[in-house]
Amino acid sequence: MSTLQTIQRMMAEQFELEEDKLTPDAELEALGLDSLSVIEFMFNIEDEFNIKLPDERVELKTIQDIASVVDRLIAEQGAAK
Amino acid sequence: MARRVVITGLGIISPVGKNPTEFFDNLMAGRSGVKRLQTDFIDKLSIRIGAPVPDYNPADYFSRIQLSGIERFNQFALIAAKQAVADAQLEIAEHERTRAGVTMGTGMGGAGSMEDGYIEIFQREIPRVKPLTVLLTMNNAAASHISINYGLRGPNVTYSTACSSSAIAIGEAYRQIRDGYADVMLAGGSEALLTHGAMKAWEALRTLALEDEQDASASCKPFSKDRTGLVLGEGAAVLVLEDAERAIKRGARIHAEIVGYDSSSDASHITKPDAAGQTRAITSALCSANLQPQDIDYINAHGTATMVGDVQETLAIKQVFGEHASRIPVSSTKSMHGHLMGATGAVEFMAALLALQHNAIPPTINLYQPDPECDLDYVPNAGRRNVELDTVMSNSFAFGGSNAVLIARRFSG
Repeated sequence: MSTLQTIQRMMAEQFELEEDKLTPDAELEALGLDSLSVIEFMFNIEDEFNIKLPDERVELKTIQDIASVVDRLIAEQGAAK
Repeated sequence: MARRVVITGLGIISPVGKNPTEFFDNLMAGRSGVKRLQTDFIDKLSIRIGAPVPDYNPADYFSRIQLSGIERFNQFALIAAKQAVADAQLEIAEHERTRAGVTMGTGMGGAGSMEDGYIEIFQREIPRVKPLTVLLTMNNAAASHISINYGLRGPNVTYSTACSSSAIAIGEAYRQIRDGYADVMLAGGSEALLTHGAMKAWEALRTLALEDEQDASASCKPFSKDRTGLVLGEGAAVLVLEDAERAIKRGARIHAEIVGYDSSSDASHITKPDAAGQTRAITSALCSANLQPQDIDYINAHGTATMVGDVQETLAIKQVFGEHASRIPVSSTKSMHGHLMGATGAVEFMAALLALQHNAIPPTINLYQPDPECDLDYVPNAGRRNVELDTVMSNSFAFGGSNAVLIARRFSG
């Protein structure tokens, strides 16, 4: 399963959202996630991918943004499961 | 000139009912919400009883997205507020919002979420906690969520005075309207303390009731000689308070009028209740209402079922009401819903309001062994219907010595 697919599945489960709405370019805000929900989600992302988010803030607008950040961190931190 | 303040909406989620009707029906029937707890930490407790909200499933009330940011004590507060607003058929116009506010009481707010964080850090040694931990645990979260949900842009204040928190929240909201600072207030309290850490802390203080050997649901026995202490409960109650003129103008159904309130401090001991401090609160509440002792038709007692507390409250009532004391029905509904700490004042004031509305007095259950030091009419074991009630009082006396007394009267236009 690709990073993007995993994120889509996690999002569907954690927020009870319909999977067909979770397209890569779907905007998080439009899905009903405010900045706090995103922070909460990224916390679970760290666990799932065994990565550590950097302290500096990254702008995350779409699901693809999250996937891209995760892929970059996996490459950098070399800690993917 | 002081304005009149009326109650137009009621909402509650409690160990004995998830709306005002169910709550009062169960109180009148003498049904207890106290039970042996079913939690994963039950084996770690020496005292294993509590009064939880039964069959509570957050998903019945909130979406997953909402639930990530609102913890149990906030959930209870929002559920009660929603009922109260619906009951009042409250609509707040844009230009009224700065004169609409919220006051809530809580003892320990999001204690459960704080404990979850501690477990991560100290027990599992995970070097991070959930990112929303601060927002989940802060004491003022319940009031703030209510403010955000209903667009209340006036006062937003949380009172934390232990067992009197929400009585003070209601009393201070009453003053906001009476003195002209606000026109509409949502006021109440919320608590969710049936957590491992909080239960252990209460256990250690040796004020919790021991489990009744025959019947766990009968463990809380206010004013009875065999009482052993309080039973922790959880839940929330919220009222809509409104300037009487505004309520009349919009044709609102008025449950009752708040006519008196005051608070006092024992200033003597951090836990030991003191009849003198309680007497001052009751007397000045009566004064503020311009009422005589004989005007009070029912008192919902603080009645925690601790050895000292019940005697001190009895003394205070006798001191204020004199000869009339033995003629006033005084009941402790804590015998059924337990002690909801920061929410308990609001829950019990609501019991008193519903008593007024139904002309019916809920009982003190589990009162089979009279205590010579507790010799008032505590409405033992059976509720009374078809009584005439016009004015009711609710007492709340806290650890820390903070006392609050609320008085409500049937609204007469």
